[in-house]
This record gives sequence, structure tokens and C-alpha cells, in this order.
Amino acid sequence: MMSDSEAILACQAGRKEMYRHLVEKYKVRAYYAALMFTRNRDDALDLSQEAFYRAYRALDHFDTSKNFYTWFYKILKNLCLNFVTRQKRFEEFDPSGINSRQENPQEILERDERSRAVWQGLRELPAKDREIILLKDFDGMSYRDIADALEIPIGSVMSRLYYARKKLLKKLEYLNE
Amino acid sequence: MNKSTISCQQAEILMTGLLDNELNAKQRRQIKIHLEQCPACAAKFDSYKQLKKETADMKFKNLPEVYWDEYWQNVYNKIERGIGWILSSIGAIILLIFAGYQLLQDFFLNPEESLGIKIGVAFGGVGLIILFVSVLREKLMVRHIDKYRSIER
Repeated sequence: MMSDSEAILACQAGRKEMYRHLVEKYKVRAYYAALMFTRNRDDALDLSQEAFYRAYRALDHFDTSKNFYTWFYKILKNLCLNFVTRQKRFEEFDPSGINSRQENPQEILERDERSRAVWQGLRELPAKDREIILLKDFDGMSYRDIADALEIPIGSVMSRLYYARKKLLKKLEYLNE
Repeated sequence: MNKSTISCQQAEILMTGLLDNELNAKQRRQIKIHLEQCPACAAKFDSYKQLKKETADMKFKNLPEVYWDEYWQNVYNKIERGIGWILSSIGAIILLIFAGYQLLQDFFLNPEESLGIKIGVAFGGVGLIILFVSVLREKLMVRHIDKYRSIER
């Protein structure tokens, strides 16, 4: 089984088909990460693929001693944030709402009451809190990887997670009432 | 029996690390002692454990297999087309600079052409460029935002 750094070195040497190894390995995580920002299936697919393309273009500057996915995540996140901001701006000029991208929970979540309640609670959190919870609990990143992906000191990951989970717990208690 | 050396507030933060298995041996010992001695924090710990499980178990719908099958091909196409775009853009820029230079030499700097025609051509050219950029920008915006673009008509 080829390692990430072997695949990256091969790509840097011009064998672009080796990039497939990385795309196949991380495509599901990338799609779900984009979905957390866009809350729309088609946009999440588009943006995650675009992020892989942009990461490929920047691959020559990638340091193979680093974690590929956390580096890629930063590219994906920037792309998603730009998209969401542009979309909000566009919707402000579209009072008819005909082009607005409504979130469709039925399209992205299974028919599971609890999943929907957790999703609802997460949606109501500030974006930073939602992101750190999802990176840890849904994506399964370590504190070191989260610190790297969010560019924060590793020492603040635990406290930020604590405050985010505390808020989520409160939201869920409220939703359950 | 050991006595807890941390406050309930410190314990709550350490609970997070305990849940995520990210504590060192000393922190682990501190929080375990605290949880044994503080029923309120032990109850909170159970709530956080349940919350973590629920977040991790959140069930998203799987994408139809066809999307995953095409995924790599779509990325590969973007990579290939990206290279194509870069090369053709460089080519177009070189040609445009050359054409502009020729136009400047043969038309705008030619004293035999009347000033009226020169002004007319200049305005017409600038107008066309503005229209082209505007249409291009609109197309790109719609491509990103049009929710009906994937519907077959």
C-alpha cells in the first residue's frame, strides 16, 4: 500500500495519475467536510473536487513531512468559506429567492430523529464551535491534527472543544424540552 | 484515599481530554480521582460521553455510488483542463498583445486615418471588452449558484 508521501513525491515528479491514491483515500472525508459548510450535496461535491484540483496545483510546495489531509483541509475550508460568503452576498441581491440554495436535511441526513436533532443543534452553534466538534467527533482528528488544521496552539484545542460541546449540550437539552 | 486536587471547573475541561483520550498520565489520574469523589461532575461526564457518541453516530446519507465512481475522473478532468486553460490563456494574451501592438502601429498612429474614426473604434473596442467581462462574470456566478444546473432539460 502506497503511503501519502510516496504518492505526493510521485506527483511532484510529474506522475499525476498517482494523485488518484490521495483522492480515493480522502474523497469521503473531503465531501463530508464540505457538506458541513455548504449543507448542500451538489455544492459539497463540486467544492471538494475543486479543492483536490487546487491542492494538486499547489502540491509542488507541499512539505511531505507534514500531514496531507490537514493541509488539504485548509484549502477546502477557504474554498467553502469563500463560496458561502459569495452565496450570501448573491442572495441579498436576489429578493425572489429563486436562486437561493436551501438546506435540505432529507437530502443529507438519514431518517433518524436523533441525528436530525444533533444536526439542528450543531447548525445553531457558531461556525467555529461547530467546526471543532465535527473535526474531532465526526472526522476523528487528533488534537495535534486539529491544531494544525485550524492553526491554533495545541493547548487550546481541549478548552475550545470543551466550550463548544458545552454549548451543544445546552442546545440539545433545549431542543429536547 | 486520594483527595481531588482540581476544581470542578478544571475537571470539566479535563473531561473533554479524557473523552478524547488525549490526556497525559498525571491529568488522567487527577480527573479520575475527581470523578470518583464528585457525583455532579460524574453525571456531567456521562452527558458529555453520550453527546460525543451521538455526534460521532450522526448518520449522513451515503451518496449514490455513481458519484463516487466519477469522482476521480472529475478531479482528473479539472487537472487536465487546468493545464489546458493556462496554456491557452498564455497563448491568447501573447496574440492579444501582438494584435494590440499592430493596431496601434497601423491604425491609431497612422496620420492618414481620421481622428473621428479612431475615437469611434476606441470607444467601440472598450465597450466590447466591458460587455465581454460582464457576461463572463455573470456566467461564472450562475454556474456556481444556479441550483437547477444539474437538472436535465
